[in-house]
Amino acid sequence: MRWRILRTVYLKELREALRDRRTLFIMVGLPILLYPLALIGMSKLQESQEAAQSARVSKVAVWGTLPEGLEERVCGKPEKFECQRWQGAPAAIRAGLEQGKFPAPSRLPPDLDDIEPEKRPKPNLEDPVVKSAQQAILNRETDAVVILWTGFSSQVRGEGAAASTVLFDSVRPESVKARDRLSDQLRLYREDLRAKREQARGLPEGFARGVDIQAVNVAPAKRRSGMLIGVLLPYLLIAFSVMGAFYATIDMTAGEKERGTMQTLLCAPLEPLEIIGGKFMAAWSLTMISTLINIFSLAATFSRVKMIPGVEITGSSGSYVVALFLLLPITAMATALFLAIGAFAKDFKEGQSYLTPALMGLIMPLMLTMAPGMELNRYLAFVPVVNIALLIKQLFLAEWSADLLFIVLLSSFCYAALALVFATRVFERNNLLLGGKETLGSLLDFRRGVGGRPSPGLAIFLFAGSLVLLFYGSLLFENRGMATVLLVTEYGFLLLPAIVLAGVQRFDWRETFSLRMPSWRAIGAAVLIGISGWTVGAGLLIRLLPPPESLVKALEKILMIEDRTMPLWAAWLLVAVTPALCEELLFRGFIQSGFQRAGKWAAIGGAGFLFALAHASIYRLLPTLFLGVLFGYAVWQTRSVFTGAICHMLNNGLMVTVARSPETARELGISGTRYLPWGIIAAGVAVLLAGILLLPREESAPTT
Amino acid sequence: MREILRARGLRKSFGAVEAVRGVDITVREGEVVGLLGPNGAGKTTILRMIAGILAPDSGDVTIDSIALASDPLAAKQRIGFHSGDTQLYQRLTPREALLYFGRLYGMPEAALLEAIERLVAELEMAGFASRPCRTLSAGQKQRANIARAFLHKPDLLILDEPTTALDVVSGRFIVEAIRKEKSAGRAVLFSTHLMGEAEYLCDRIALLHEGRIVDEGTLPELLERSGCTNLTDAFLKGIGYAA
Repeated sequence: MRWRILRTVYLKELREALRDRRTLFIMVGLPILLYPLALIGMSKLQESQEAAQSARVSKVAVWGTLPEGLEERVCGKPEKFECQRWQGAPAAIRAGLEQGKFPAPSRLPPDLDDIEPEKRPKPNLEDPVVKSAQQAILNRETDAVVILWTGFSSQVRGEGAAASTVLFDSVRPESVKARDRLSDQLRLYREDLRAKREQARGLPEGFARGVDIQAVNVAPAKRRSGMLIGVLLPYLLIAFSVMGAFYATIDMTAGEKERGTMQTLLCAPLEPLEIIGGKFMAAWSLTMISTLINIFSLAATFSRVKMIPGVEITGSSGSYVVALFLLLPITAMATALFLAIGAFAKDFKEGQSYLTPALMGLIMPLMLTMAPGMELNRYLAFVPVVNIALLIKQLFLAEWSADLLFIVLLSSFCYAALALVFATRVFERNNLLLGGKETLGSLLDFRRGVGGRPSPGLAIFLFAGSLVLLFYGSLLFENRGMATVLLVTEYGFLLLPAIVLAGVQRFDWRETFSLRMPSWRAIGAAVLIGISGWTVGAGLLIRLLPPPESLVKALEKILMIEDRTMPLWAAWLLVAVTPALCEELLFRGFIQSGFQRAGKWAAIGGAGFLFALAHASIYRLLPTLFLGVLFGYAVWQTRSVFTGAICHMLNNGLMVTVARSPETARELGISGTRYLPWGIIAAGVAVLLAGILLLPREESAPTT
Repeated sequence: MREILRARGLRKSFGAVEAVRGVDITVREGEVVGLLGPNGAGKTTILRMIAGILAPDSGDVTIDSIALASDPLAAKQRIGFHSGDTQLYQRLTPREALLYFGRLYGMPEAALLEAIERLVAELEMAGFASRPCRTLSAGQKQRANIARAFLHKPDLLILDEPTTALDVVSGRFIVEAIRKEKSAGRAVLFSTHLMGEAEYLCDRIALLHEGRIVDEGTLPELLERSGCTNLTDAFLKGIGYAA
């Protein structure tokens, strides 16, 4: 891929898109005008409706006789109540209530908040009195009905419990308001009555009340505001950002086909990767510009709307910046996916109909993240789109963790890489780009001629695919014990996909996996590197970003394989030999040879970086990157994957030996210490340098 | 004369439809070869395969001795392709579009700017070269498109019905532009429906029918072999249409 060409395609696509009014409107117009207007408008409407409800006089039908005290509270407040005596009560019901024919309902259990709604007692809507009141409310003759059951006044006088019922319609806001007002007045009346009774009996104040309960919300305004932003922002931001990619990508694919310009591009001396790369970068840039504008717009809008009474909705500017960063992989994935799907459409209209389900597929899972109690965990960290939304939510609640952030970013970039590889394959199909038909099967057909090595794109595809497979696959086996998980993940999810892909592609096995016997000198160098590399990784680099105790324990669990009785040789087979074989064939074999055409250090660094990412922990990133580069260098210099495997096996083997043998740790002087002593590190560095110097000096990598 | 295009045994199917059934074409330096055939004869598919836009199912194409299959970028670098139904970017001006394609073909910036100004003058585009392509007439668009194909001075020009849907004046302008390129030593492979155009421009003509070349030669050779007095009759006879 030529960067000069990529840049030319990128700048042209960007220029064309920025001259398209439709794209500009979606990218700039909607976030600046429509969203703030809609949100502020809704908020203002809500405020004005609440104000109107408060100003409105509630019409309440009183069925029964109000005793002294309550009469003033309900019918003596014309600014709150329009007292409608017996309004809507049929003559028979009124007569029945007056003559005591309808007994008061039995006393209900306390209305506890913690009772599940379906277990709460339901009103008997077939009761003739309730049914009549319901009819009066539904006919809008009144907002609410309060029934003072037979004997209400005598019970009040006789120091009993008088029964009343308030009936309302929860769908009508004015009815709910009338209920609230009536309930408040009844409660205040009850308080007065209780105080009078205590006084009359000479009882101390609070005798009947017994316990005062006060619930205090300790969430500070910032946290409440963060919760609201955390729930709303990811949904709005991801939805709006992805919409930004929607029109730009249709225009660059189906739109270009419709306008008849795709052919001119295909006859130019360009590689498909340069075309898709330029288009992708341009569409992604536009999406990120749209995202940036959306973030500014939403932040400004949130600060203006009153969603929680008395709370200003603000998030820290740092949180908004990190949210923008988190949207990088998700917008990359959406852009690549949309470009790939858009290429199947013949014109803009068809593009819209193809991309709309994809857009919905990305947005709908976001609804889940708005559900109460949905929090990011290590399972959800690998679910595309949902993981980013939940992470943004945690970010605004200041509850995020570095390790989960790392896993979310890692998995999201993996999905983005897979989408990009898919888009590249689509753009390799000229027939499709010229308006012809291609089946999905032909896109997944990886058969090639005999020989050759993987491309960088295929190496990234294998890495991303293996990692996703590793995560979801390991969930299936997590209850089968550590040994099973190790064997299945290493052989099944790391080694097998690499072998299958190389076989399907009919690559040259020897070149792809560097299957050559190392010289005795190379073996000697590998032994020195293998026994000393960990002293730099675990001794020096770990001091830069010390791992939390939970990670140390998790690593110990792996090294102990949950079985202290397992013989050391068996532990070596599981934790040293197996990863050395599987991971080296994948990373230093397939992936490093895939990157080979990019040059020596790009290949070693690229494979080493992916090796570090695969360990899925930010705290292990530096040590594993160091080891990955070290093993990669050894493999490059010797052209043999077995050199890397020896290094890897000894590195892991030493760790498992130390972990399982306290005597060895004591002899080495590292028992009970958090970090390796400097003396051991110095000795390790010396041995490591000797190992590196012993490697063949001449670069013997095959020509690319 | 140097062989610029050599295509041998080209075949292409779309599903069950066999669009091209073993076609051989050679075009030399300074030569215009015309592909004449009814709709659906496979002209566009052949030209697209030679231009490297479509991969043939079988057969080989070499451009100035460079195999298109093994070194597509170097081969495409020597080709200028234009089709009557291709368009330029609606939101760019012809000048911007030419600048874009010149950079894609790796032309040095100074030479590119000079080539653009030369083509703007030669193809009389000065009046509309800085207007967005969507505002141009069909003839103006076609001139801009021709300029794009000529821009990097390709060894081989592949022109697929370049005068389609143009009025007589615009069509003649394009035809004259092609003649100038021929005079400059370019090889031209050209498809058309218009017999007059073929007679006027082509050194050799290949008659195409149902994916095969049914006859090929200079105009006098075709007339002699068919026993006809004009190309239209020779063409109809060649494709088996009884006049």
